Amino acid sequence: MIEAHALSKRYGPKLAVDDVSFVVQPGVVTGFLGPNGAGKSTTMRMIMGLDRPTTGHVTVNGSPYARHERPLAEVGALLEAKAVHPGRTARQHLQALATTHGIGDRRVDEVIELTGLTAVARKRVGGFSLGMGQRLGIAVALLGDPRTLILDEPVNGLDPEGVLWVRNLAKHLAAQGRTVFLSSHLMSEVALTADHVIVIGRGRILADTPVQDLVDGASRRTVRVRSPQATELAEALRRDGAEVTPTDDGALEIAGSDAARVGETAAAGGLVLHELTPVASTLEDAYMALTADAVEYHAGDVADAAPHETGPAPAAAGPQDPTAQQGDAR
Amino acid sequence: MTAGTGTTTAPAPSTVTVRRVSFPRVLASEWIKFRTLRSTVWTAVITAVVMIGFALMMASLMNMAASTPEMREGMASDPDMQAMGMTGTTVITLGYSFGQLAIAVLGALIVTNEYSTGMIRSTFAAVPHRLPTLWAKLLVIVATTVVVIALALGIAYLVTMPILDSAGLPVDLSDPTQLRSVGGCVLYLATVAAFALAIGTLLRHSAGAIFTLVALFFVLPIIFSIVVGATDAAWAEWVNKLLPSVAGERVIATGPTPDNLLEPWTGYAVLAGYTVALLAAAAVTLKRRDA
Repeated sequence: MIEAHALSKRYGPKLAVDDVSFVVQPGVVTGFLGPNGAGKSTTMRMIMGLDRPTTGHVTVNGSPYARHERPLAEVGALLEAKAVHPGRTARQHLQALATTHGIGDRRVDEVIELTGLTAVARKRVGGFSLGMGQRLGIAVALLGDPRTLILDEPVNGLDPEGVLWVRNLAKHLAAQGRTVFLSSHLMSEVALTADHVIVIGRGRILADTPVQDLVDGASRRTVRVRSPQATELAEALRRDGAEVTPTDDGALEIAGSDAARVGETAAAGGLVLHELTPVASTLEDAYMALTADAVEYHAGDVADAAPHETGPAPAAAGPQDPTAQQGDAR
Repeated sequence: MTAGTGTTTAPAPSTVTVRRVSFPRVLASEWIKFRTLRSTVWTAVITAVVMIGFALMMASLMNMAASTPEMREGMASDPDMQAMGMTGTTVITLGYSFGQLAIAVLGALIVTNEYSTGMIRSTFAAVPHRLPTLWAKLLVIVATTVVVIALALGIAYLVTMPILDSAGLPVDLSDPTQLRSVGGCVLYLATVAAFALAIGTLLRHSAGAIFTLVALFFVLPIIFSIVVGATDAAWAEWVNKLLPSVAGERVIATGPTPDNLLEPWTGYAVLAGYTVALLAAAAVTLKRRDA
C-alpha cells in the first residue's frame, strides 16, 4: 500500500507535483496515467525516497521508504530502464544489488530466468536494447520479492510479446495480494492492465477512479448532425430527452440518443439534415479531455483547494469534472 | 496463489530469503561493483605498473649518476632534490606523483560513474540511508589503494635492489626516515583516494571532478612553485605549502625540511584535515540532495 499525503515537489520555479494525495491499494493493479512531464516519475521517485518532497510525505506499507529494514522486500521499483552501469553484466548488476540484502545467487538466477534474460545474463548491459534494459529493470524490481511494485513506464521499448508479458505479470502479482503501481502515458495501456487509475496532469490529480468507470464514460456514443434549421432541430431533440451541444463548426453534438432516433425526430419535424454521423469517442478522447481540462483549470480553482484527507474523496471529485462539462445542458 | 497465465511464472513468495541491510552487506555490494568494472581494475593495475616503472628508471639514473661525478653534483645541488632527499626509498616511491593521478581519478570515478549512468538510483533504492554506501566506497577505495601501492612498492623494492646496491643507495627500512617515507607513500595515496572520493561525491560529474583534482594536485603546485621561486612573496609561500599535494607529500620526503615547506607529519595532517572536512561535506550533501 502506498499513501501519499499532500505531496509537492518544486524544481526551481516549476511546481512538478502540486499537493498530491492518493492511496494505492494492494491486490489490484493501479495505473498512474498522465502526459509526459505531468509529474509521474517525480512522484514515483519521491515514494522511493530518491527525491525529497518539498512538502507533504509519503509512506509505503505503513512507513517512509527509508525507514524499512529490508527496502527491497517492501518495494521493487523500475524507475527508469537504464539505472545501470553499462560496463557490468546483467548478472553482476543484480548481484551487486542483491548483496545489500543478503539475497543469494539462486534468487538472482531466478529473476534472470523469470524475465527471460538467461541468454544475455553474462553480457555487458551497454549492448542491451531498450527492451532488454527494461527486462533487467523488472528483474531488479522482483529481486527482493517485494510486497509493493512501482513500475515507471514498464512497457516502454518492449516488443508486443514483452508488453503482453508485463501485463500478465502485473496482474498476476496483484492477484497475489501485492500492491502494483505502474505508470504510463498511454490510456489504452492502462485500460488493458490496470483495475484502478490515478490520472495526473500538470502535477495535480485529475481522477482517482476504477478503470471501468473511465471506460464506461468514454464509451458513450454521440451523434453529429448538420442542419440548416439547427435551432429547431436542437429544440426537437431536447424535447426528446437528448443532450445537444453546438460545436464550433456549426454542427450539433448529440448525446443520449442514437443516429436512428435523431433521423426520425428530424423527419417528424420536417427538418432537413445535411449530415448524420454516429461518433464513438475513444478512451484516448476521454483521457485527452481530462488532461486538457487540467490545463484550463490550472490558472483557476480545481475544486479541491483544500486537500482531501481521505482516499476516496478525490475519487468522487475527479471523474465528475469532465462529465459535468460535457453535460452542461442537462 | 492464482494460477499463472500463459508462460508467466510467479516468483515464489515464501522461498526468497531477504535479510536486513547492514554495513558488511553494503560493503560486499560495493566490492562487487568495484571489481566488476574493467576500467577500475585496469586503473589499479596500471598504477602499480607505472610506480614500478618509475622506480626502475630512477634506479638506473642513480646508478649512472654514481659513476658520473658531474651528474651527481648537479643532482645534489638541486633544491627540489634536496627537499625530497636522496635515499633508496626516494627511488622506489618516486612514482607516487604519477600514481596519485590514477588513484585520484579512480576515487572520483567510483562515485561519479554512478551518477552519469543512473546507477546511483538503483544503489539508493537498495540502500536508502545512503551514507553506508559512501563509507563502503571509502573503505573499498582506501583498502584497494593500500594493497595496490604496498604491492607496487614491494615489487619496486625487489626489482631495484641490485641496481641500487651497485649505486650505493640501498633501501634501508631500519632507518626511521626511510620507513616513514615508504609507509607515508602508501598513506599519502590512500588519503588522496579518499580526498578524490569526497570531491566526486560533491561534484557528481566525472569531468568536473577530474578537472578539479588535476588542478589541485598538478596545475596549482606547478604554478605556485614558479611563483614562489620567482617572487619570494610570503602569501604565495603560504598557499603553496598548504596545497593538498605539497603538504601531503612531505610525508614521503626523506631530506631535511626547507623553510618554506611543512614538517612531514604536519604536512600530512593538513592533507588529512582537508580530506576529513571534504568527506563530512560529501556525507551531508549526499544525504540531502535528490538522487
